Amino acid sequence: MADEFMKGFACLMVGGLGWMTIKGWYNTPSFEGAQLTGELTIEEPTTFDQIALFMGDAFFWFAVLGALTFWVVLPLISEFQTYLNERSA
Amino acid sequence: MSDNDTDDVRTDGSGTGIVSPDDETPAWSERKERTQGLSRLTYEYFERARREDQDLRQQSDYVERDVLAFPAWPHEMMRNIALTSFFVGMILFVSATLPPEMPNPANSGVTPAIILPDWYLYWSFGLLKLGPLNPELSILGGSKLMADRTYGVLANVVVVGFVAIVPFLNKGSARRPVEQPFWAAVGMSGVIFSLTIAALSIKNLVPMDSHLLFDLTFLVPIVSATITYAVLKTMREGYMFDLNRRYYRLRPPK
Repeated sequence: MADEFMKGFACLMVGGLGWMTIKGWYNTPSFEGAQLTGELTIEEPTTFDQIALFMGDAFFWFAVLGALTFWVVLPLISEFQTYLNERSA
Repeated sequence: MSDNDTDDVRTDGSGTGIVSPDDETPAWSERKERTQGLSRLTYEYFERARREDQDLRQQSDYVERDVLAFPAWPHEMMRNIALTSFFVGMILFVSATLPPEMPNPANSGVTPAIILPDWYLYWSFGLLKLGPLNPELSILGGSKLMADRTYGVLANVVVVGFVAIVPFLNKGSARRPVEQPFWAAVGMSGVIFSLTIAALSIKNLVPMDSHLLFDLTFLVPIVSATITYAVLKTMREGYMFDLNRRYYRLRPPK
């Protein structure tokens, strides 16, 4: 149980750190103003910029879905299996 | 083994407390002696650590305790190295990927539009804004006993004084909040109050009605103290509480 928590937490932290970095590069126009959620700071993204923008979204959903998976989905599945086993026994 | 039969069973870890059910069942030590390689090394290592712990326990005239300590090397040191490496790595990573903007130097000839102390002093700044609590006394003909600014400074004295005397109010030996829910609730309300009073100090930046914010400044700490007390009281029941209480009772009684 604690292990599952730690996995979900690791997903949240790694994804959040990556997301924060990418958004700090591309979505923070100035120090005083919108942080991490501002307008895109570049006009014509190069290939590397496109990869980075994709990675930003990937990190975000990795954080959200990773935490959800380990904290909600997998415990629910194991609870359901325990329930089924008790029912059949 | 023959000694163990006559002595009282000791639960403080000084004996193994393990007795074989019959002659054929190997004892834990015998079973361990047969293993090889890494598990053997691990066993010897922990056995030595346990032995050193036992020697310390017997040499010491200190109060008998359940857990003396783990050895500083390698247990504590490896943990500390791991934690230090993590935080140093985080500092390097963040400073390399997100270097902070270096703004223009401050112009000492111009007064800034918003004057605020550093963020960690917001709570003290907020205490200067308690003018609405300064009572207008009818005995003085509706005037106040002291100016609002004097009142704010006195509020700082009272709060800092209360924080200073808390260690003398409660000298309990509890090492975790569940042991003393009331004092934990007092501490929690203090923490929350330091946050709400800090929010009050920047009330023109908080998107909320300032009167509502003023009321919440004092209500939220009381609510959080109540919740903390209820939660900790609930946690005092059950198997894990007794188990952990035994483990955490490290300090000698008062």
